[in-house]
Amino acid sequence: MSRRILIIDDEDDIREVAALSLETVAGWDVIVASSGAQGLLRAAEHQPDAILLDVMMPGMDGPTTFRELRKNPATAKIPVVLLTAKVQGPDQRRFADLGVEGVLTKPFDPLTLASQMESALGWA
Amino acid sequence: MNLFMESSPQTIPPAMLEALDRLWTKFLPEIENRMGVLESAARALESGVLSADEREAAHQAAHKLAGVLGTFGLHRGTELARQAELGFSNERPVSAGELSYWVAELRLLIDQRK
Repeated sequence: MSRRILIIDDEDDIREVAALSLETVAGWDVIVASSGAQGLLRAAEHQPDAILLDVMMPGMDGPTTFRELRKNPATAKIPVVLLTAKVQGPDQRRFADLGVEGVLTKPFDPLTLASQMESALGWA
Repeated sequence: MNLFMESSPQTIPPAMLEALDRLWTKFLPEIENRMGVLESAARALESGVLSADEREAAHQAAHKLAGVLGTFGLHRGTELARQAELGFSNERPVSAGELSYWVAELRLLIDQRK
């Protein structure tokens, strides 16, 4: 099933590899944003089926972006999966407690990123 | 060049492998920039002149390398960068020699993939 995914990540390399992966492996339509602020606008405008959101970004970080998404009625119901390079247990629990649909870790495998997202989102 | 030579036995579609190779080449300058920050900080630490700003910059650079190298198949690179990230964060005590060793290993891995 075709899906529209918004990737919000300040790192160009991660954003492009993730987009390549989701487009090539899953055939999803991908929209990208390079900051939390840009991501909020794109989410409201494009109404993606889900958002893959980086945690550590300059300015508005992932958790703050997530809270802003939830505050806006236009984006409040869009499922969010966090992407983080922080692999330690306490960090993972803190992110999961935010209320996101899932937390994926960097580095991700380009071949399995889509299936990991599907699993986190209950799409599998 | 096969970026996934140390990766899983999964079959990577040739078109995807080619696209990943292109992205590796495209983003190599950024990876080199991050390596430069790490190498400079490791040298400063060994000389006993590492500033707080340099330490933080090295911590950030290591964090970003840890997040991206494995995505390009360099899983050992991610492990080394994670060790450097912890070392530059002061979360656990490491010697300047250990950090320099990890950074040098990281440099070797990246050079082998060029």
